[in-house]
Amino acid sequence: MISIELVKQLRRVSYWVVFGILAGVSGVVTVIIGLTSGGTPERIGTFGSVIPNSSGFTMAAIALNSLLLFLIPLAVAIFAGESVAGEASWGSLRYLLARPVSRKRVLTSKVVVAGVLALAAVCTVSVAGLVSGLAAFGWHPLSVIDLQHASPFASGVTTFSPLGALGRVGLATVVVTGTMISTFSFAILCSVVTDRPFSAVAGGVLLSFVSRALDDVPGLHALGPWLPITDKGASLWTAVFFQPTDLSSYPHLAAVQVAYAAAFLGAAWILFNRKDILS
Amino acid sequence: MIAVEWYKQFRRPKTYAALSIVAAFSVILTVALAATGSGQTEFVGDVPLLMTPRASGFSVPIIALSSTMKFFLPLAVSLFAGESVAGDASWGSLRYVVARPVSRGRVLWSKAAVAAVLSAIAVLTLAGSAVVVGGVAFGWHPLGVVDGSTSTPGHPQVDVIHVGAMLGHLGLSVLYVGAGMLSIFAVAFFLSTTTRRPLVAVAGGVAVTIVSRVFNADYLPGIQVVNGYMPNNDIDLWQHLFTRPADLSGAPHFLLLQAVYFVVFMGLAHWWFTRKDVLD
Repeated sequence: MISIELVKQLRRVSYWVVFGILAGVSGVVTVIIGLTSGGTPERIGTFGSVIPNSSGFTMAAIALNSLLLFLIPLAVAIFAGESVAGEASWGSLRYLLARPVSRKRVLTSKVVVAGVLALAAVCTVSVAGLVSGLAAFGWHPLSVIDLQHASPFASGVTTFSPLGALGRVGLATVVVTGTMISTFSFAILCSVVTDRPFSAVAGGVLLSFVSRALDDVPGLHALGPWLPITDKGASLWTAVFFQPTDLSSYPHLAAVQVAYAAAFLGAAWILFNRKDILS
Repeated sequence: MIAVEWYKQFRRPKTYAALSIVAAFSVILTVALAATGSGQTEFVGDVPLLMTPRASGFSVPIIALSSTMKFFLPLAVSLFAGESVAGDASWGSLRYVVARPVSRGRVLWSKAAVAAVLSAIAVLTLAGSAVVVGGVAFGWHPLGVVDGSTSTPGHPQVDVIHVGAMLGHLGLSVLYVGAGMLSIFAVAFFLSTTTRRPLVAVAGGVAVTIVSRVFNADYLPGIQVVNGYMPNNDIDLWQHLFTRPADLSGAPHFLLLQAVYFVVFMGLAHWWFTRKDVLD
């Protein structure tokens, strides 16, 4: 079931366009920065600062940082939102369910494939940033300034060897994917509810923006740690670029994401098992 | 024509729902501020402005405008603009609307006028309800605003704004934020003429603010080149009205940009709608 679903989704031209856009934007950011301001420090999250032309590894982090606000959640919502609603919009969902396979297995395979594609989307961003960055600025050790701990007495600079930097970029990709779990699960739920893929994708993106907007409201600070995605939560991945690496906030992040995933995917599971499939 | 369109939009529950949510936002914000510590200093915007909500109810409209100008207000404006033409198309009644012995241009502009008035009402509702609710909760007193960009720990730059001046400042702020919605309105309205699905047009309007936020030199200094042409990056400049001296040097550029976006996209909407095959 999973391989059938994967082959079906990988044959869709629109999915390759999504991957192409993600890789293309990462590459274009490298080109713009390389041509106009390679020596200007760029921010990574709230506290990190890197100089792009000092090492190609900076571009992987800059690409993740600049696409995390919109393009990455959009790509994740597209893969999750298209999963069931895409089938419904083609009118083939009823034939899919007519196969002698339980609805549970159908949904599971769709969610697994959408999850793999979402992970692939985030990897595309960091790999494209990495490749274009290494081509533009070279295989050099990566230096990151921790602005939170930089003072006149301590420079706050951490330097990673090229291989170490590669490992940190990998870790960052995993953490970024983790912060997308709530967006992904909500888009899956919307995809089960509606027959229109566009509505499901919009639902996923809307969740991430409503959450960030609520986080911006002074007076609602108490809500912050419990929202599905916030500016602070979405920049926690930058912690892997600092030494000593402070991972103390990760268990909470993981717990919140898992709780949202359980709620949204559980609701999707219940709805899909009982739904009258008319399309 | 305008009256007909106005009557139609005003009978829709959706219109009232959107406006009530906007008003409810002020109430929730005030309750949240009162419940979680109105005596604490709040940092508002990128200036930042420092103020204590309990000191005066006028802090509530400032906080409400700051926290809605980048997402919730654009969403409300896109809703009104995006629903206007595509809403009729989705009901299947657009062909009957244009079958009336009235030019398409007049149909389009009466829809635009009504959507624009509703959008303006949304912005005014937000600020008005925030002034009222904030005043009821914390009183209409002069508000001391600390300019976080020029203050040092020993020398806070406090600007005490009296009630009359405050109302004037707030009025200007509402006008500025309202003007900042022009680009969003025009894009959502243009998309509304091209699609039969209102959600697409609404999403397009919201996308304007999001794209603008992605290409913002405040967060990604390397793309300084495009920053000046993004429609919504400088929508927070009105916060400088509450500092002294008020640095508003970026405002004319921002307003000009809004006007350009508005003219271009409304022109496109007119061009498209007067030529399109109306099938819905």
